[in-house]
Amino acid sequence: MGRKVGIVATGQTKHGPKRLDVNLRELITEAVTRALEDAGLRMEDVDAVFLGNMEPFEGFMFPELWSVEGWGGYLKPSVKFNTGGTVGTTTTMAAYYYVAAGLYDTVLAVGFEKQSDGHTQAAITTVGDPVWERTMMAGAVGNFAVMASTYIHESGVTPEQAAKVAVKARRNACNNEYAHLQMPNLTVEEVLASQILAHPIRKLDMCPQSDGAVAMVIAEESKARKLAPRPAWIRAVATAHEQQYMGDSPKRLAIMRSQIAASQKVYKAVGITNPRKELDVAEIYEVATYAEMAMYENLGFCERGHGGKLIDEGVTSMNGELPVNPSGGVLSTNPIGATAMIRVAEAALQVMGKAGTRQVPNVRTALATGYGGNAWTDALILASN
Amino acid sequence: MATTKAEVVEQKALRIPFRLSMEYEYALGAHAERFFGELRDHGRILGVRCPSCNRVYVPPRPVCGICYAETREWVPVSDEGSLVGCTVVELPFIDPMTGEQRPVPYGFAMVRLDGADTAMYHFLEETDPKRIHVGQRVKAVFRDQRTGSLLDIQHFRTLEEAR
Amino acid sequence: MSAAHWCVRQRIEIPFQYTAGLAVTRFLQGLTNKKIVTSVCSKCGWRSVPPLSFCGRCWQPITELRELRGTGQLLSYSSSGDRTFGLIHLDGADSSLVHWVVADGGRLKIGSPVEPVWRAERSASILDIEHFRAAAALGKPLTAGAGSYINKRLVE
Repeated sequence: MGRKVGIVATGQTKHGPKRLDVNLRELITEAVTRALEDAGLRMEDVDAVFLGNMEPFEGFMFPELWSVEGWGGYLKPSVKFNTGGTVGTTTTMAAYYYVAAGLYDTVLAVGFEKQSDGHTQAAITTVGDPVWERTMMAGAVGNFAVMASTYIHESGVTPEQAAKVAVKARRNACNNEYAHLQMPNLTVEEVLASQILAHPIRKLDMCPQSDGAVAMVIAEESKARKLAPRPAWIRAVATAHEQQYMGDSPKRLAIMRSQIAASQKVYKAVGITNPRKELDVAEIYEVATYAEMAMYENLGFCERGHGGKLIDEGVTSMNGELPVNPSGGVLSTNPIGATAMIRVAEAALQVMGKAGTRQVPNVRTALATGYGGNAWTDALILASN
Repeated sequence: MATTKAEVVEQKALRIPFRLSMEYEYALGAHAERFFGELRDHGRILGVRCPSCNRVYVPPRPVCGICYAETREWVPVSDEGSLVGCTVVELPFIDPMTGEQRPVPYGFAMVRLDGADTAMYHFLEETDPKRIHVGQRVKAVFRDQRTGSLLDIQHFRTLEEAR
Repeated sequence: MSAAHWCVRQRIEIPFQYTAGLAVTRFLQGLTNKKIVTSVCSKCGWRSVPPLSFCGRCWQPITELRELRGTGQLLSYSSSGDRTFGLIHLDGADSSLVHWVVADGGRLKIGSPVEPVWRAERSASILDIEHFRAAAALGKPLTAGAGSYINKRLVE
């Protein structure tokens, strides 16, 4: 619908546990500068800026305001989003809508989070309903542990299979110069020996907390063709939300209604009936190892209950039929305000053929997903045509 | 303003500590008031039924999100149910609502009470992960002194041995 | 129908540690030595307190830091309880700083000349300046200089 829109350039910071060398504004500038350089553009060439961030983590309202000159906002139109974990994909989609609708031609989408400035666990508690949920919550780890137990019951996946997902992610991350956790020699045994956070989730089953930012230049067709030899065209987008309480969809990881709905929508929009065969690469928002396997099922990469089988058979590894998260995924890098946009940026790099040592050969179609809030999903299809 | 002494970290950059303390008073709304009134005064748990799809919702809410129909029929649900998901938390963390470390390990779970179609978070009495499992039957343990809060249920007790 | 409604009271406490960044670190360390430091963009000349490491208008890094005298003029002020805070245009800078202001004999006026009053014990905090003091003894009242400064800011 609307004009054809493509991602033509990306920029990322070196994501890390504590970027003490930069404050939030400088962190953002690092990513934005790289994206502009990648596009060969100046800030004057950008019509508008779309920003995504999860506010409580930095401890001040309107972090986009406090960093405005760091992302080129002086006298420029901008829109800020705050949709939790999905914010990176939400922001991308909003940028896409504005350009597709003809309001702007060339825009910047920026996702950022300085996780270490705040206290993630405490801030995430505010996500829970104050009356019904907050008292029990144990941060994201507790939620994922409960969800994982349901998924294990439904599918029979084992801790060993989960550990294989962790190994795949942190080894893939070694090909990604921006990734936070790079573990070339990680083994299944090490994962299984790591500290239990909340059963069954162990430390190495869970994503880290990172400081980082990502920026992308998004343009309408004629500008995009001038800016990049092979733009990553945004072919379909979808968002789906859940009901309001965490127990309303009791099997919410094992059968993630929003993920099924959103992915079905984008597949239908581009005519995909067998995603495992017809997608060349996927960058999905997997907060924990068990989540990745459940997402294989929800996204239609395999039958119900076969998520573990897929990792055992290597289908989703770098030389498998459908590589998932060549970048190392959320399991390797997680600055929450940026994380979902990093999925899009990495998927775009794959389509543009600019993914360096993590490039999957011959990528024409890529899937990027965002996860957040109470099991919401964003899904995007990027393609080379 | 509460900026205090900044610490030099790694001889490179300063970090400025700041503590944000926010006080809230959340209005419960009519449905929650009715639920907690029943819990406090009678030790009973209520849900609401959607007139269109017949789902019984606990926690109760004024509208069924799937049918967008007003929920007016209150139905009692059991104080017994099954675990939909469960965990024992080992990682110590500071509870932002008390400022103290929450004592670990503690069990918590997604419980679906008999008669309800949705599940709810609550604590488990059991703290040994080998003694809890998905599908396990559990029963609410009510406090003697109740004030009209979800913690009028102290926790859920498992009714059967682990598989 | 009861007139009283139920509420749940909660307090959420989140501890933060803002990363100052290297330029602001220099600024805070300067305060320990009773110095106020500005950055200077080599292209547009914009002088910012606290200092910046990157100019968002020229889109280039800033490397020059300069010490200021510390004096300035009061651009505006507002009282909250028995304290007053104001916007201070420091001599030699283009941006303004917010801080407490105290009138030392007489009233505060737009354009009042001000100077920093330093705490005896300093710890790399903006509060190493206890407040800015506006005193008739400090110098000239509002001149055309401050007015043209205000116009310059609006136009840019």
